[in-house]
Amino acid sequence: LLAFSSCPGAGQDVGRSCILVSIAGKNVMLDCGMHMGYNDDRRFPDFSYITQNGRLTDFLDCVIISHFHLDHCGALPYFSEMVGYDGPIYMTHPTKAICPILLEDYRKITVDKKGETNFFTSQMIKDCMKKVVAVHLHQTVQVDEELEIKAYYAGHVLGAAMFQIKVGCESVVYTGDYNMTPDRHLGAAWIDKCRPDLLISESTYATTIRDSKRCRERDFLKKVHETVERGGKVLIPVFALGRAQELCILLETFWERMNLKAPIYFSTGLTEKANHYYKLFITWTNQKIRKTFVQRNMFEFKHIKAFDRAFADNPGPMVVFATPGMLHAGQSLQIFRKWAGNEKNMVIMPGYCVQGTVGHKILSGQRKLEMEGRQILEVKMQVEYMSFSAHADAKGIMQLIRQAEPRNVLLVHGEAKKMEFLKQKIEQEFHVSCYMPANGETTTIFTNPSIPVDISLGLLKREAAIGPVPDAKKPKLMHGTLLMKDNSFRLVSPEQALKELGLAEHQLRFTCRVHIQDPRKEHETVLRVYNHLKGVLKDYSVQHLPDGSITVESILIQATAHSEDQGTKVLLVSWTYQDEELGSYLTSLLKKGLPQSTS
Amino acid sequence: YRDLHTFELQAPTRVIEWARGSRVCVAGYGQSGGNEILQLIPPPALQAKETQGLCPERDFKVECGGFSKRPVHSLKYVPDTSLLVTSGPPDSSLQVWQVSAEDSDVIKSVSTIATENATGQPWARIATISARAHWVLHGSTLESVQITEVELRKNVYTAGSLGSEELAGLAFLDGSTALLCCTRGRLCVADVRQPRGALQALPAPAAPAGDRWCLGTACAAQGSGPAPQPVACLSSRGLLTLTDLRKASETLASAAARVPSPSSGAEFLCVSWAPALQGCLAVSGFDGTVHVYDTQSWDSSGREAEPLFVHKGHVLDGTGDPALVTVHTWHPQKPRTVLSAASDGSLHVWDWVQP
Repeated sequence: LLAFSSCPGAGQDVGRSCILVSIAGKNVMLDCGMHMGYNDDRRFPDFSYITQNGRLTDFLDCVIISHFHLDHCGALPYFSEMVGYDGPIYMTHPTKAICPILLEDYRKITVDKKGETNFFTSQMIKDCMKKVVAVHLHQTVQVDEELEIKAYYAGHVLGAAMFQIKVGCESVVYTGDYNMTPDRHLGAAWIDKCRPDLLISESTYATTIRDSKRCRERDFLKKVHETVERGGKVLIPVFALGRAQELCILLETFWERMNLKAPIYFSTGLTEKANHYYKLFITWTNQKIRKTFVQRNMFEFKHIKAFDRAFADNPGPMVVFATPGMLHAGQSLQIFRKWAGNEKNMVIMPGYCVQGTVGHKILSGQRKLEMEGRQILEVKMQVEYMSFSAHADAKGIMQLIRQAEPRNVLLVHGEAKKMEFLKQKIEQEFHVSCYMPANGETTTIFTNPSIPVDISLGLLKREAAIGPVPDAKKPKLMHGTLLMKDNSFRLVSPEQALKELGLAEHQLRFTCRVHIQDPRKEHETVLRVYNHLKGVLKDYSVQHLPDGSITVESILIQATAHSEDQGTKVLLVSWTYQDEELGSYLTSLLKKGLPQSTS
Repeated sequence: YRDLHTFELQAPTRVIEWARGSRVCVAGYGQSGGNEILQLIPPPALQAKETQGLCPERDFKVECGGFSKRPVHSLKYVPDTSLLVTSGPPDSSLQVWQVSAEDSDVIKSVSTIATENATGQPWARIATISARAHWVLHGSTLESVQITEVELRKNVYTAGSLGSEELAGLAFLDGSTALLCCTRGRLCVADVRQPRGALQALPAPAAPAGDRWCLGTACAAQGSGPAPQPVACLSSRGLLTLTDLRKASETLASAAARVPSPSSGAEFLCVSWAPALQGCLAVSGFDGTVHVYDTQSWDSSGREAEPLFVHKGHVLDGTGDPALVTVHTWHPQKPRTVLSAASDGSLHVWDWVQP
């Protein structure tokens, strides 16, 4: 029995992911995300939901984080340090390396910029990461004697993984966010035919038909080119890792092809850090990058140079990649302030911006921003948004289901009403049940576990000796007694079962009365019966005992006179349960009456 | 191009129909069942009047979908209802579906409009017009043309027979007249106000036998100017003839489109007038391209015409077998925006620039 509970969090709420799975008595938390849209307690999942009393550390066997996006790991320090959890937290190596950076960044915005108090501290982030156990792809990790987990490549971002959770013969696969098509720097998600009882898949883009990457890239390059051609400057705020690399590779190729001269800059801190991580996690990038990495460092570009603060004041066109990605502090904000006033310039936001950041404000259309010291900044530069995020669409979800062959599918991260069609599509094509729980809803999925039963050798030998030898095409029915003791199941013979349990075998005896019209004396009736039976039942042992009773095999027949009517004799036919068949036969035979005989 | 968006559908479509609220409907035509009918919401860039640049929303969204066992060869929305009608092999019956996007995202099969002697007949062509709500004009051959009132499932018109030729297309010219086009090129007109009206054949142009034809009419009652658009017919050899129905005995103009020879069959021939560009029409179905022509300079000589614009996207994009454009349609408001689909599942939305 598999029970699944969606923490107020994932499930029809694209904000944050946090899923609780109960499998064969083990409790696992999948992701611990934070809702980017809320500023108050609603941004964190409601953990009191998990267990009313008792400590989370006792209740949960482990926590698994799929990748470093804040809507999957943003609430982790809050959960482990402020709510309280000391058990193991599993994630891939790149995720472990990058998570703390993002969490610290987010903490700085929330606390320093927005002045919030009920938030986790830098120390908490560090303490939280100490509880993390990093795993490799396709490595089976034993969490305890019964629970094991394994990570699969998910694409999407560096280090993102899909996890298989297995207890005995029951298993669940959680996809996190994944992508079934490779892009310029990451490969596509892949899983083997592991046939889990349940596949939990994200469905953010299930109802989307995305326009081709080529078109999006073409438009992006067109915008950049147009701006640069008219002498403007392009600012692209990025986070150190992820789409930045993708866009760099894209621009480099374009600059080379079009023979453009305008400089492209990349913040120094960024290059070093990025290169460091990519070298460290080269196996996580795609095939093409790995191949070229041998000849030259893919992330060392001919047209892209290291940036110096002073360059921002240089005249003429240029393109600059700077951190942080949401324009909330640091270098990218500095550059933005310098360039915002000129309408020839452009800023392209390549991803989601948290509420409260400058990035979010300008994307919402604000053109007059209040900076420190009550200064008003007028934004005349062009503001563009270009999303390159990689999620699986309906086609990708179907592909993954086809690869893994789950028995049930559960969709999270999508919009309620708009998933009925996909649910039917999945059910029709794969003949599996598809669930779409709402926030806080528990879904119960029934599994067919296979239970191993030991059979005693004696019983096996005895049954095999009776009748024809059983083979795969002709199954044979056998009788035995199932003993369930502790957690073991054994099939033994009834005698052995009785012996082991210290029970005595009961005998069941049936007695039937047959009335026969015979005025003669009892012993004469008995003789008549005896002769009759001896004549009819030639294959059976019919005996006339000295005490006046007749035995047919082990069946006993005795005659007495009827109490009220001397002319009627009463035959008592008595047999044990084992002789049921013969006993019934004898009874019906005698009921037919005795032949007129001459004794 | 001013704009070009390419999308990939999970299965190729041969219908693109516009619905209320800028919705677009496509449907699969696979032989082995499991075809999906998808009603899509186009990206905001397509809905707005001004073309935007790097819009955050650039994708189509599946608003609702349904499953059809038959391949869908024709699909039309029934005006003033939440129903749509499809047809496809193996017979000439119509399938009726209910679209209720607010309640659920599933398009449900509601009923079937059976036709007499339907088995073995080619699939039915369908036409509707907003002036006649609930009416569906359909038929697969000249002798099986009828109009069914969809809500009541009642037949309101049956055409008299003029032969058993297979139909290539039919259309309402207005609320009382229907135009029929046979695959061999013959045009007939019917007055649908008379329940059992006779068909009136139009004098046919001298067309070489063996060609297959298809029909393109301008959207009637679309605020048409003083001179309604002529009827365009396209042959499998690339010959385009324009006929003014008021003077049907002579061809108004004709030209030859540049097509590869031999053409790969007439399965997907498609010709349509631009709703917002006087005299412009688009042609597709010969290969992976869509041609746009300006017919205002044509005469009746049938000379080869130079296209205004050729969309080659479906050819350049694909790898492996060359794709064949299965259908195209114009955007009702944006003058130069065209949607085209091909046999490899691609769906393109392009906005061409007048050279």
